[in-house]
Amino acid sequence: MAGTSRMSYPPNIRIIRVPCSGRIDPLFVVKAFQVGADGVLIAGCHPGDCHYAEGNYHLRRRFALLRPFLDYLGIEKERFRLEWVSASEAKRFAQVVSSFTDEVRKLGPRKGREMKTPAASEAH
Amino acid sequence: MQMQEMQEKVRTKARELLQSGSVDCVIGYERATDGKTARPAFIYTADDIDRLIYDRTCVHNLAKYLLDRKDKTTAIVAKPCDSRSVNLLINEKQIVREKVYVIGTVCQGMPDVTWNQIGEENQERCQRCAQRTPVMYDYLIGEPADAVIPTFKDVEEMEGKDIADKRAFWQEQFSRCIRCHACRQFCPGCYCSECFVDQLDPTWVGIRKTTADNEMWNTIRAFHLAGRCIACNECERSCPVNIPLSLLNRKLEKDVGDMFEFQAGLDSEAAAPFATFKKDEHLKGVE
Amino acid sequence: MSQVISKEDLIKWLESLLKDRTVVAPVAADGVTMFRPIARPEDVVYKPGNATLGPKECLFPLSHTIFTVERNDNGVSIVPDTMDREIVVFGLRPCDAQGFAIFDLPMLGDPADPYYKDRREKTTLIGIACNIAPPGCFCSSTGGGPHDATNLDVMLTEVSEGYIVQAVTEKGKELLQGVPLKESAAVPPPPPDMPLVPTDDIVAAMRRSFKDQYWSRLADRCTHCNICSYVCPTCYCFDIRDYQQDGKVHRVRSWESCQSPGFTKLAGGHDPRPEKGAKMRQRFAHKLLYFPEEFKGVLGCTGCGRCVRLCPVNIDIREIANDVQKIGGG
Repeated sequence: MAGTSRMSYPPNIRIIRVPCSGRIDPLFVVKAFQVGADGVLIAGCHPGDCHYAEGNYHLRRRFALLRPFLDYLGIEKERFRLEWVSASEAKRFAQVVSSFTDEVRKLGPRKGREMKTPAASEAH
Repeated sequence: MQMQEMQEKVRTKARELLQSGSVDCVIGYERATDGKTARPAFIYTADDIDRLIYDRTCVHNLAKYLLDRKDKTTAIVAKPCDSRSVNLLINEKQIVREKVYVIGTVCQGMPDVTWNQIGEENQERCQRCAQRTPVMYDYLIGEPADAVIPTFKDVEEMEGKDIADKRAFWQEQFSRCIRCHACRQFCPGCYCSECFVDQLDPTWVGIRKTTADNEMWNTIRAFHLAGRCIACNECERSCPVNIPLSLLNRKLEKDVGDMFEFQAGLDSEAAAPFATFKKDEHLKGVE
Repeated sequence: MSQVISKEDLIKWLESLLKDRTVVAPVAADGVTMFRPIARPEDVVYKPGNATLGPKECLFPLSHTIFTVERNDNGVSIVPDTMDREIVVFGLRPCDAQGFAIFDLPMLGDPADPYYKDRREKTTLIGIACNIAPPGCFCSSTGGGPHDATNLDVMLTEVSEGYIVQAVTEKGKELLQGVPLKESAAVPPPPPDMPLVPTDDIVAAMRRSFKDQYWSRLADRCTHCNICSYVCPTCYCFDIRDYQQDGKVHRVRSWESCQSPGFTKLAGGHDPRPEKGAKMRQRFAHKLLYFPEEFKGVLGCTGCGRCVRLCPVNIDIREIANDVQKIGGG
């Protein structure tokens, strides 16, 4: 809706659509970081308002556990955020993306190995 | 009860179960080729009973083998940690309670054991173990001993480190991983018919074995065990390159305990924390 | 009379090799020893027996790109990955060197594996003889021995003054140019004893035991953890998969194990070897039956003992070699 309302938000966000935030496996989040994301934002419907009734309640628990776990591994908590934004809240979506982009920019690029196959000489 | 007496009771009960035909097989321990440590044993006839041993080198968690024998009746020798694994498998409907006969053994801890080498003191995981008595059993060997409050000092120490130090530590550990997947193969909680790491469509990790791929493997495996891992430590014990996997899994065990007041494997009927939710719960870190 | 190098001169030699070559040697990491490129000679770890993980990775990497495919103005080009530097593997044991000799049989056959060949030609092997054989070792039963220099370029044997140096090949002689060696009356200590494993008739015994229930009983406790294959100096199974990266396609080759649950799964879901017992038999048949049948009696096992020491459920090839001899009237 932000698009159809012609609202602008930073271009360096890559949107991965899922039918429900409950579809999000922590696997997707870690993979996103490994292929080069500096920050990962999950935007889900407000609790109580899930289109599929319960998906976001499950996601909420996963997020609560995943965020400190990523921090434990050396990925700053601030790089991973969960926001409740419904499909019709265009302005809020644009705001959330802007503020998250700013915060991640402040942290700088994520330091850590990315998924690149080593060459023969550096295969160790 | 002394180990010698425990061993006798294991043999007596196993003989009885096999002779009566109540079970097809007794999974226990026998002497390894080094002459001093134990290895898993599958006893199919009462004639082989004297192969069974029980001593302080019986560190293996035998529960996983029950998944190969779902349609047969099996007796299994289970320490307290192992009994929690059996509960987990029953809870997740992977095995049927009526097909398993648990010979539970009270345990005061066991040393680090590798082929031909027995450690002096109890393993670290035994030193901080919460159970001394199996949480479920059909026959108990040993006098029941009190449970102890589990501690997470090692996890807390890691949590307190600087983020750059944590990152450097784990990158170093994962750079050694050779992706043998022994951790997965020994884990009673890892039984997916297609593991995410082997999935090729889409390829989440696949066959490439760089540090980044290894990090994905180890961290997601740990997360898939959140609320299910009972810290039996088989993963860390079997790892050929000494990656401290328990330090990873127990971070989640601690957080699950704090957030949802839940410990895996204590109750075969309990609802798992990631299969349930409370509508108005306020979780730390979520607005 | 023998040629001896002092420990100090050995360090200097390694320093000079480090100038224009990659030197890979055993280093310590959290209680295990692994072969890694070293920055300084002081990083090398010397301990009795072989390193926890062998130097197999030097010629046959755990996971690497074998070639990239790139689009350019002329269409598509395929760029194979080659080593840009010479490698010296230092501190390997005779069992590991024998492992490379075994690898050479399939890998340098006709046609040769170009990626293995490239690395093999650019690698020189400086081995250290074993004066102690830790429990688990049985190289004297598999056609080699703790003082066997056959598959090395240079062999070092520890004595009180340092190491006796033996240039085994032309490549080895070249590497020793300019290295200060002293004439000495030092003699190598006698090679250490180790328990004998009956391997004389093993091929026939394996053939006789093929249909026996022994294999499925043995496999009961196997968890398919792959550790045996990965630490084995002679296991060479691999998988290949394409990955996209930086606008190019990388063809990645990576270690695999016949013990992996899905190893024989075919497209469509059929698995011709799903039983645990069949998988187990396959592993030992490869080492002790098919390989010697294919390669003129050369056993596919070097007796390094790693699988014995590292199998978490004690599946012991020495016990198996003994057991199969008793099956089928052997």
